[in-house]
Amino acid sequence: MLQLLHILGLPFLMCLIMGTILAYFGIHVLKRDIVFINIAVAQVAAIGSIAAHLVFDAEEDTLIAYLSSLGCVLLIAAFYAMARRKIIQISIEAVIGISYAITAAGAMFLIGIAPGHAHAEEMLAGKLLWVTPQHIVLCLVVFTAVAFCIHIFKKPLLRISENYEEAIRQGLKVIWWDFVFYGLLGVVITLAVRVTGIVTVFSFLIIPATISALFTARWGLRMLIAWVAAIVASLGGLLFAYFFDFSVGPAIALFLGAVLAIAALFSSFAKLT
Amino acid sequence: MSEALKLFSLQIALVAVVLILHTYLGLHIIRRTLIFSDLVLDQLAAFGALVGVGIYTKYAFSDSIVLAKGVVLFKYASVGSYLLALVAVLFGSLLLALIKPKTRAIPREAVICILYAMALVISLLLTDKLPNAETYVTATLSGSLLWVTWPLVIVTAVVYIALLIFHYILRDKFITLAENPKTLKNEKLWDFLFFTTQGIITVLIVPIAGVLLAYAFLMIPAATAAMFTKKWTKAVLIGWSIGFVACVLGLGSSYFWNFPYGPTLVLFLGLFFVFAMVLRCLLSSRNFNSKRI
Repeated sequence: MLQLLHILGLPFLMCLIMGTILAYFGIHVLKRDIVFINIAVAQVAAIGSIAAHLVFDAEEDTLIAYLSSLGCVLLIAAFYAMARRKIIQISIEAVIGISYAITAAGAMFLIGIAPGHAHAEEMLAGKLLWVTPQHIVLCLVVFTAVAFCIHIFKKPLLRISENYEEAIRQGLKVIWWDFVFYGLLGVVITLAVRVTGIVTVFSFLIIPATISALFTARWGLRMLIAWVAAIVASLGGLLFAYFFDFSVGPAIALFLGAVLAIAALFSSFAKLT
Repeated sequence: MSEALKLFSLQIALVAVVLILHTYLGLHIIRRTLIFSDLVLDQLAAFGALVGVGIYTKYAFSDSIVLAKGVVLFKYASVGSYLLALVAVLFGSLLLALIKPKTRAIPREAVICILYAMALVISLLLTDKLPNAETYVTATLSGSLLWVTWPLVIVTAVVYIALLIFHYILRDKFITLAENPKTLKNEKLWDFLFFTTQGIITVLIVPIAGVLLAYAFLMIPAATAAMFTKKWTKAVLIGWSIGFVACVLGLGSSYFWNFPYGPTLVLFLGLFFVFAMVLRCLLSSRNFNSKRI
């Protein structure tokens, strides 16, 4: 038991922290219909760290690599905010999806080799099991700062997520607020992907928010449902991976999917009766 | 004609055929915001191929000679592996057509993206149990020109032309599906047929072009055209022309400067897309100003 706690304790803590902030962003992301944002931003952040490596010879996990990633993420945040306001006839989701293809090609071009270089699997599946206390403290500090910003800017961000056109009519500076939203989400995703891999972050962002949407439209209740779902799936996934010797990140994502399937069945059953 | 020139013209001809269907299907995907559907099908095709690898590695050194010979069919990029990929893709098309959220709070794109995540997860969990997993993950992600053989190119071209004819004959149904699905009888069946077409081209094109280029072929010409017109024929024409010019430039420069050809093509397509976005912005603001005047 003690050994189990020793091995899975830190990854579970990381899941808790990440699950909470991503569940909140997930509800926004679903309302805005921009589910591609996670992969696209992760790809842009990867370009930043490749560029840092090429220009400054910086290794991964160094300050320069993080700053370079952050710079690229903020640039793309500005691009998305502008594109959403200015581009007509195609959805912002399509623009984000295409930006992913272009930036992925850019990354491949920069490293001069085919996609999926040596770290492909690690980047997808992550290294959650080897998360260190330093990583957790860093995430905790940054995510708290982001949560603080969200709290301050809550009203305009919510209004834009609920109804973009209405927000424009009310005279809100949508480009600026969209930039803030994409920027904050970008920071969270960049940091989370480094630690846990794309698959896990992606699932934590979309699945708990989807589960909560099955049952209620109220924000507070949605957060609670999403949080509980994230905790249950994290515990299930971690134990499954531990006892059956699978990668931790994908196992948690699988359990999130399973919780969603059960919730969807339960919700349609409840509506029938 | 030199060998290089022959290969170049073959590639250009293949791109010209492939782009028509891709632009048309891409327009559907852009207009219905099903951007993730392509990645779901890509990932499922990769999963099918991985299952083949699993069967092969498990039984290749079996005592039974028949079994050991039989499983050779499932080696990566062989016939059995293609068939498994096709089965996985058909299953994916069925799921994509059937699962639709009943509440407006969940966009359909979210369901598709969760299907993608699950397809990726089962692939990763499967590779946990395969020896040399890293090699196969890399292979299914990138695709490779090494496996392109003449019969494959011919099969690809024939299937594309057959699918084009199929879509041309049934264009009214598919366009109604995109524009006004509620008026269509058997909406789920048409959805299934649509995703199946997309799945078949995925299975064929991904080993040749790689996931990224296949995805870019589908999305970028269509999205570029969709910014400028709402008419289908016009959009296919614009998309095809832009895609074709970008591909010729991309292929040319990849030959000339020896750039990696996949990323170069995607970057050229991307360049045209960004240019089109800027043009769209300028045109919109000019229209806006002239309306104000």
